[in-house]
Amino acid sequence: METIKQKALDYALGVLPKEDSLLFEALLEENDEARLSLAEAQEDCAKIALSTKPKTLGNEVKQRILEYSQPNLNFDPFLASDPIQSLRNNFLPASARYQGGGGGIPLTDITNAKLQDEINQLYEDLITLSPLVAGNSNAAAGDMTLLKSTLKSMPSFTESVDNLLSRPIDEDKIGVGAQSIHRTLLSSMPSLGFFSDRLNGDSHSMGDVRRLFYLCRDQLKIMRASFDDIDPIRLIEDEKLRLHSAGLLQTKWWGAEHAYFSSQGKVRCGHFFDGPVTERCVEFAEYDANMYCLANLLSPRSSNGEFHLELVKDAVPNCILAIATAETSQAKHGELDQIINGITSPDSSLKNDLVLWNLIEESMTRAHHHTSVADLRSESLFGCHRLENSSYLWFAWPAIENSQDGAVA
Amino acid sequence: MLKIKNDLWEKIRDGDSSAFEELYDGFAGAMFSLSLEILGDRWEAEEVIQDIFSVLWKKPEAYSPKKGKFTSWLLVLTRNRSIDRYRSRKRRLDRGETDEILQSRPDQSDKDGAEKATVSDEREHLNRAFSNLPPEQRKVLELSYFKGMNQQSIAEFLDISLGTVKSRTRLGIEKLRNSLSNLRI
Repeated sequence: METIKQKALDYALGVLPKEDSLLFEALLEENDEARLSLAEAQEDCAKIALSTKPKTLGNEVKQRILEYSQPNLNFDPFLASDPIQSLRNNFLPASARYQGGGGGIPLTDITNAKLQDEINQLYEDLITLSPLVAGNSNAAAGDMTLLKSTLKSMPSFTESVDNLLSRPIDEDKIGVGAQSIHRTLLSSMPSLGFFSDRLNGDSHSMGDVRRLFYLCRDQLKIMRASFDDIDPIRLIEDEKLRLHSAGLLQTKWWGAEHAYFSSQGKVRCGHFFDGPVTERCVEFAEYDANMYCLANLLSPRSSNGEFHLELVKDAVPNCILAIATAETSQAKHGELDQIINGITSPDSSLKNDLVLWNLIEESMTRAHHHTSVADLRSESLFGCHRLENSSYLWFAWPAIENSQDGAVA
Repeated sequence: MLKIKNDLWEKIRDGDSSAFEELYDGFAGAMFSLSLEILGDRWEAEEVIQDIFSVLWKKPEAYSPKKGKFTSWLLVLTRNRSIDRYRSRKRRLDRGETDEILQSRPDQSDKDGAEKATVSDEREHLNRAFSNLPPEQRKVLELSYFKGMNQQSIAEFLDISLGTVKSRTRLGIEKLRNSLSNLRI
């Protein structure tokens, strides 16, 4: 085999040393034989590729992928709105960027031993469940036997959340302790309970297994960030510097089904930027929890069962805006406005919703090194706004300076 | 299954969503099978396919006919992105990072229930041709193509010379090409 052909094959196989690769790429620009050889090598490699055993993709994957060809929602009116203009005018980045942490307590600080045990058990059950829904699990290959028998052997996550929420959590320990419990029970957990219940029943799809995989992963990280002694070894990893890209959030949310207790919604995305959002897993866990809170607030109030989640960078300098929007009735928007802009003693139907928003507010005080929620609200670092028939919720997170692209979670 | 019209990329470039769907129906399965073979993880393989289709729709100029056949290019991209993920995962495990998912990976080489899907004649032919390669040539191609190992690493791994790796690669490819000369891919 002549040298050019060998080089073309090595290049197509990706085994050519970097320097030789660059030289070969230069050759491709000017040499027809090199181009032909590469085309031939690529076809040879395609034959190897196509010798793999065929596997089928579920219909939900097709739905997700075809959404790329749908028109994106126009966010320009929202980005030109008064609150975002105000944010643009007022926002100054802190001298030291927040990297997560500080939002948790030791689980042992919870004085109610039964509550402590139940949270511990919840974490252990999720550790057991995670590998059973991973991409290399039997369930991901279509065999649900082990997953179903394991789910049946565990208490229902939905019932566990209901039971835990019925306890007088605020009396247990005020402040950070209550927040840690609420973040654990109300951010990703309701959706996790919904999908695990569905997988435990008869009507489920491969998409449910995938969704449960992401939810387990997120929930475990949220719990480690909330209770810093629940799994100290893994927390050490969570605290290491490692960029997390917006792509991780996009992959997870794009075309997903979301559930908040009995309410279900379809997620649409479109404007996610390329690049990192957070610098450590503990920060990502906090960001994730905030995103779930936005989704949980909006999803049940959508008029058409859909809501949009977007991450927008550079619309406000030094900020990443997380935006959730949905078509809502005036009454439903009124509820959101009450929750976000002032209600302090909600009736029982809005109590959990107020907790969701408080979790975002408290997270924002940490992210912006500020103690006054009222100040942050007045600077529009988070809020609620109505444009035509849609409600918009948002929070602004400090952007990473001079960042490279994000890495894996 | 593998018959992709030549003008499909031009239509996608021009914003034709039905062409995008046609490409998915005709070729996503082959891309997914390749990615799953490399990664052994269904969700990661789905993410690779999702990313590639996203790029194709948003930046169709990432491909140009100068880069060879459209379908070959798609498979090169699928393979390279899958190998990148595979290496990244391996690096994390080598660093001893603890991850509840990574730590508990069972081997799932042959368990896909979807394998019951009908194998097309062409793919069966390809599969047979690859399986029929002499084991030493097949091994070198597997390590190189599906595991992304460079030739020096393969030589060390199999305890053979670099020259032997190169010749086995070349001979394997030539045999594959000859036994598939009547196939249009």
